[in-house]
Amino acid sequence: MAAMRNAVLRHLRVKVGYPFPAPAGTVSFADILRRYFSQDATASFLDKSEVLDRVITVVKSFQKVDPSKVTPTAHFQKDLELDSLDTVEVVMAFEEEFGFEIPDNEADKIDSIKAAVDFIASHPQAK
Amino acid sequence: MSSAGAVASYLARRSAQKERVRLLYRRGLKDALNWAVHRHLFYQGASDLREEFEANKHVEDLDHIDRLIEEAEARFEKFRHPDPYIVPWAPGGSKFCRNPPPYPGIEIVYNHGKEDDLQ
Repeated sequence: MAAMRNAVLRHLRVKVGYPFPAPAGTVSFADILRRYFSQDATASFLDKSEVLDRVITVVKSFQKVDPSKVTPTAHFQKDLELDSLDTVEVVMAFEEEFGFEIPDNEADKIDSIKAAVDFIASHPQAK
Repeated sequence: MSSAGAVASYLARRSAQKERVRLLYRRGLKDALNWAVHRHLFYQGASDLREEFEANKHVEDLDHIDRLIEEAEARFEKFRHPDPYIVPWAPGGSKFCRNPPPYPGIEIVYNHGKEDDLQ
């Protein structure tokens, strides 16, 4: 192995110079923009109107829901005539749409579109 | 007092049972998703689960309901997935507490290899 390495290195020329142009003394604005961290670490909150749109799309595509009844203030059980198990399914659909996890006790409290929008918009990991 | 108390305790017990059932259904659905390697398998599993819940929808006797819930919870515990999916940043996930953002007051200047001593 060492002999092979020597043989390769004997025919190889590694440029020792510094390949980049000399740096400017100041930090440019582009450098600041480029300075990002992990997407998950710098999670941000979603815009409420966008959340509302996506929540309504999810609820409308739910099989047992009449799409014409879906409004931003609709209650799942009173207005949309879903039962408690359907509500569980809808909340799970939200989790999949926004790619995050709702704790069990919080998921139990989401009973209307407004509650869902409030929770998702205030959750930093929803995306 | 006794009849009002009886109604109150009945309602309290009933709502506690409803909450247990909701929680059990939620966990069961997630577990069905954990076991399913393809989406179409999950749809079938979720539909079967729902049917099992619907089968006992009209049971009225409180003790019978309690017994059914206990049996279902025992079954859920027995067949629970040993290695469930956890959203990466959630507690227990692979990104939990990894790569936290630096403190807000600290300024890090990444010069991308163009540090001054290399000039």
